[in-house]
This record gives sequence, structure tokens and C-alpha cells, in this order.
Amino acid sequence: MKHFLTSGLLLAAISVASLPVQSQAQDAQTLVVAQPADAYSMDPAKHSAFTTANVLFQIYDALVTQDAEGEIAPALATEWSNPDPLTWRFKLREDVTFHNGEKFDAHAVKYTFDRALDPAFQAPYFSRISAITGVEVVDDYTVDFKTEAPYPTMLLTLYEASFPALIVPPAYAAEEDGAKLAAHPIGTGPYLFVEWLKDERVVLKANPDYWGGAPEIEKVVFRPIKETRTRIAELRSGGVDIAADIPPEDVDSLETDETKISVVPSDFLYFFVFDTTRDTPLTNKLVRQAINHAVDVDAIQAALMNGMGKRIALTLPVNGFAYDPTWEPYAYDPEKAKALLAEAGYPDGFTIKMMSRKGRFLKDAEIIEASAGFLAEVGIKTEIEYLEPGVWGQVSEQKGREGIIFPGWSGRDPNLVWYPLLKTGLYQSYFSNAELDKLLEAGASTIDPEERKEIYSAAAKIIKDEAPHLPMIQPPLIYGLDKTLVWTPRSDGMIDLRAAHYE
Amino acid sequence: MAAFVLSRLFYAILVVFGVSVAVFFLIRMGGDPTSLFLPPDAPVAEIERFRHLMGFDRPLLEQYLAFLGKALRGDFGMSLRYNEPAMALVLDRAPATLALSGSALALSIVIAVPLGIMAAAFRGTVIDRASLVISLIGQSFPAFWLAIMLILLFSETFRILPPSGRGTWQHLIMPSIVLATYSTAIITRLLRSSMIEVLQADYIRTARGKGLSEWRIVMKHGLRNAAIPTITVIGLQVGALLGGAVITEEVFAYPGIGRLAIQAIANRDFTVVQAFVIVMSITIVTINLLVDLSYGLLDPRMRKA
Repeated sequence: MKHFLTSGLLLAAISVASLPVQSQAQDAQTLVVAQPADAYSMDPAKHSAFTTANVLFQIYDALVTQDAEGEIAPALATEWSNPDPLTWRFKLREDVTFHNGEKFDAHAVKYTFDRALDPAFQAPYFSRISAITGVEVVDDYTVDFKTEAPYPTMLLTLYEASFPALIVPPAYAAEEDGAKLAAHPIGTGPYLFVEWLKDERVVLKANPDYWGGAPEIEKVVFRPIKETRTRIAELRSGGVDIAADIPPEDVDSLETDETKISVVPSDFLYFFVFDTTRDTPLTNKLVRQAINHAVDVDAIQAALMNGMGKRIALTLPVNGFAYDPTWEPYAYDPEKAKALLAEAGYPDGFTIKMMSRKGRFLKDAEIIEASAGFLAEVGIKTEIEYLEPGVWGQVSEQKGREGIIFPGWSGRDPNLVWYPLLKTGLYQSYFSNAELDKLLEAGASTIDPEERKEIYSAAAKIIKDEAPHLPMIQPPLIYGLDKTLVWTPRSDGMIDLRAAHYE
Repeated sequence: MAAFVLSRLFYAILVVFGVSVAVFFLIRMGGDPTSLFLPPDAPVAEIERFRHLMGFDRPLLEQYLAFLGKALRGDFGMSLRYNEPAMALVLDRAPATLALSGSALALSIVIAVPLGIMAAAFRGTVIDRASLVISLIGQSFPAFWLAIMLILLFSETFRILPPSGRGTWQHLIMPSIVLATYSTAIITRLLRSSMIEVLQADYIRTARGKGLSEWRIVMKHGLRNAAIPTITVIGLQVGALLGGAVITEEVFAYPGIGRLAIQAIANRDFTVVQAFVIVMSITIVTINLLVDLSYGLLDPRMRKA
């Protein structure tokens, strides 16, 4: 009996051990991507999550895309111009068909935007495209986007990270009131949809007729794995080939014979906002400057981000429009901070609230607590308050953020960052400066890039001096990869597998 | 008996109804999901427009009556995230969770019942003490920690089990072990103590006096009488297993109901949370009902009660 049991157990153990655990990822023709969340819909205009957009971007294309240098480049549109300041005209590719054979043309573009701009459609990311007042078909392969005011950031509205900008096939998307598209997507992209087992996997296969050239990897699988340790375990055991959102502390241990790390500073911005709308010491410019001098951002970046990411001088990504590499952040100088506080009338410091969400962004709470430590060094005591995400949203709507705030934001153009965050009266703005308002309005309604750069250069001077924010870093986007995979991450967080291949 | 079943059924319906009311209002207390759906830079006017479109600005009572009216006709609303019927989303994932909880429960019983019986039969011996240690460890391991340790050991180091997902029986091994650990410990301890109590009873002494074999005494007279409290606890454990599946499914990226619920709560996907809680409460209430009814089968005296 005993022998029988032991040998039985042994046999079972051996048979388990000899079974191939994950055959798909070892296959050089398959690429498995692990993200923290599953797709929510296969309809690009019906969701509001980057993890969903990453899946859909392999199936669909937008009019324009982002090239390896991070510049906006042609995709389904080959060229564009501004016949007048209220019109963006796009010439379209003439050799593109959707996966089901439907023709891609100006009507498809018009249909895509008319559909998502219809208020009854309830597109969550409606506001990203709502500056478009109309799409007009000029001829089969030319289309005009109309706006009410000059709209300089149109290209960022029409590329893939602006979710509803992915082009859908008109006839198919109208079937069953869109339910078919939401379940079984048809696009013009490099991969064809195969199946979606919710919370389990989305399977795609290469589109041999892709207008941009057939992708090298035959099969792509997206898997939702929320728990970081499990994602890492899958990567280490060969179950996945790209694991997104790797914490900085795991970077060293993933540089092995089988796995490697790929890092890019994200377009995302870490910074503190000072509430100047309430009567606190923060209304004093000297105090805001003092706080900028008091926090050692470089030390925070080195310790919490493993030195990764990018230090920013102003609240704008270094790859953003009009960012000037000669801009300098306030230097870490606690003595100067103390002197400024004394000059402002607070020689013994003061107590102020800090507000944030916790666990929303990479190391957010750690950064807040480290900063609070630096502030304590110069006599500023902080009361940290973490809000639950839903509550945060409602507090924000009522302009209820107080003290020193850690909001997180992204945007590659001052008009997408400074305008909403600094223009007097806007609900996300906790600052007011008449001169800056004028410049921000001018930048928002000027199309000519050179002219805009000058406007924002002047705005930058005011922002530096007034110090409405404490600019910190662009946190890194960290991916763990199969050692043999050749793939480059993008600063906007979109996963593009068009050029991915194995060595 | 019929009256008993009917009265229990009535209370069961009342419980499910009460739970549905509680979850409807509780989940809405933290605010509505509008800000989680829209981009962070959405203007206030857009937030208000969207909120109105989704009906979140209507009075809570009005929203509840609309929900109740539809729910009574079997319509639990559309998921806000997935744009699909909420109840279908939950039920689609039920087989995965049932497979997991079922295998965990089976594992618990297969280990706990012999262990509990042996511990009682060999009270005070090494076997008894070993079972005590095993149950103590089982009760003290946090599921989350145990899951990570198993993944490190069997997926990263030995590479014999897949760390996550669903599909083959190997995918069930680690999650089942994690889920079964706590219940195994509880069931072992409880079966041991009730067996010990029973084995000291007069009728056991009588049975011994009649010269029955120790095996027959323990298995027939002992186990049968110790079964009632044990089955009660196993029934309660089903609830705990379904609840525990939430954490286990999340760690092992196992596509079950629990994982759906966690995401729905984080996203404030009200309709999915409601459908989840209703399904769970119906399941647990049904199991409790079955446990109650099983007493009658095990103990003829209770049939009259």
C-alpha cells in the first residue's frame, strides 16, 4: 500500500514536470503581452482605458501615428494642411481595405467621427475629439476637419492615443447598432481579430495584406494579469514575452539570459500643484519658490525610480511641443528655501494639507511622503490626505483640492497641460495670472508652430517665476521582455507591435 | 417538512432582497463613476452631460425603483464598462469560479476528513499533534502570501506549473491549494473536536461493550454523529471559499467571478457589482438551505423538528 502510494505520487510528479507548461510563448511566431487589465470593448469609441487601446491599436489604425522619434507621422492619411485656420485637410491612402473587404475612404473617416461625436452615442472620450465641429468629404480620398476656433493640437486628437480616433468600417460598425463591432472588431490594422475570452485572453493573427507591410510575428495574445508578481513570474517562466508595468526595484533582477528590461520616460507628469485659490501661505510666490527649493527631486528620482524617468524643469514632458532644453528647475537648496520662507513672513514654517490618490500612479504615495519629509526639513509641516479615486473625482469637480496637490497629468503640448491647469477659472486650475492667461489663449488659437513656440517661451518665464507647481519627473514606463524580442516601447504608453520581431 | 422548507425559502428570499438593497445604496455612497470613465482633462460641462446621460444625477430612490422594476423582470442592467448585460457577465464567469471553489472544497474534504478522524481516534499521539500543527499553519497563512510563494516555487524555480490563467487542470493546482488551505484547517479542527466529544458519549461505550470493532465504532457511530457540525462548517466554508476566490483569482489571473467583482468595484461598475452580490447571496443562501435540509437526512430526530 505504502509503496503503491509513493510510486503513484512520484509518477504524478514526473508527469506534471514533463508537461510543457506554456507552449505558446516559446513559439517564435507568437507574442504574448501581459497587461494589468483586460480590454473592456472592441469598439474604440466605447472605452476609456489604455489597456484596451493597446489591444485595439493592433487591429485598427488612426489617420496619423507616432514615429520612432515620437513625432506625428502619416498613417491612414498621407499628408495634411490648413487651407484656413478653421480647417485641417487630410489626404488619405488609396490602397487600404478593412479586414472584411470594406473600402477605406473619406466616407469611413466621416462616419467614424460622426458616430463618436453623436452625443447619444455616449463615447467616454468624447471630450478628446469634441473640438471637431464637423467632418466634410472633399472627394473620396480627401477629408476636411472643421473647428470653431483655430485648433493647433488637431494631430494629437487624431492619433491612436486619442481613443475614438481609430477608424472603423461604416457598414459593419452600423450592424446590430454597433454590437458586432464591439464583440468582433474589424479594422485596417496589422492584426486580425481571432477571439476574446474575457478576463483570459485576446488572440490576434497577422494580417498578410496590411498596407504597412505584413507584421513579422504571426500570432499575438494579450493577457490580463493584474498582480505584478504574477506578471513577473509569467515572464520569468516564459509564459509571456512583454510584461508591462514592472516596478523599478525589479529591473535589475530581470536582466538575465532569458529576460531583459526596456524603459522609456513616459509622457506622464509628476508634479505638485499649489492651491492659490484659498487663503493659505501658498498664495505667496516666495513660499511656492521656497517649496521648489526645498524638495530634492533628483534624490527622489534616484531612490524611488531607480534613477529612471526624466527630470522636468516645468510641467511639460521634455519631448512635448515647445519644451526648451535650456529650461532649468529650481535647484535643491534648503537654506535658500528657509530664507525665502523667512522673507515671506514664515520664519518658523507653517502647516499645510497635501492631497492625492494612493496607488494610482507608480510610487505616488512614496513620492508624497518623501516630499513631506523634505518639507519638514525647512519647517513646513504637512497633513497628507489620500482620497479614494471616485471621491477624488467628485472633490475635483467642485474645485475641492486643497494645499499641495499631487494630481498626475499627461499631455504633449502646453495647450493640453498649461491651459487646463493654469488658466484662470478652469476647474482643474488652482492659479490665476492675467498675463499668463493671455499667452495661453494665444497659444490655444494659433496654428503656426513657430509663432506658438514664441508664445510658450514667454509663458514659461512667467510659470518659472510664479512657481504655481513643483515640477518633478516624467516617471518611467518599464517593460520586461523576452531576451530575443526586438520591440521598442513608446513614451505615450501605447503598445505598437507593427515592427516587433524576434532576433 | 414542507412547512419547514417553505419558511426557510421565505427567509432566503428576504435575505437576498435585503442584500440587494444594501449593495445598491452602499456602492453609490462613494460617488458615481463618471470621473473614472472620462479622460482626466474632461471639462465640467462634459462631466455633467455624461452624468445626465447615464442617469447618475437622478434621485437615488428613483434609481433604485427603476433598478428593482427591471430586476424583478430579470433585467439587471448593462455593465457600464463592458456595455453588455451585467448578469450575463457574472454568469459567464461562474463555471470558472465553480471549478476552482469545487476543486478547493474537494481538496479540503479529502485532506481534512481523514486527518480530523485520525486526530480524534489517536488523540494525544504524534498523529494528533501533527494534525494540530498542520491546521495551525493552514489557518495562519495569508492566502496572498501563500499564493506568491507557490508561484515563486513551482512557476519560477521549478517551472512545472503555469503561474496564471485558465485552460488546463494544471492551472487549477496552485489556486486550489491556496483556496483550500484555510478551510482544510478549519474542517480538520472542527471534525477532531466533535469526534472526540462523540467518542466519549455513552452510546459509544455501549458499542464498545457490544464488542464492535474500533473501526466500526469510529466510522459508523462516531463519524455519523460528528457529521452534523462538520457539514454546517463545510457549508459555511463554501461562502468563505467563494469570498476567498476573489483574492486567489486576482493573484493567479484566473478569469472567475471574484476577479470580475474586484474590477467592477474599482471601476464603480454598479450594475456588475449588484449582479455579483445577488448571485453570491443566492448561492450562499441556497447552500445554507441545503445544509439545513441535510440535517434531516443525517439525524432522523430532526425531521420532526
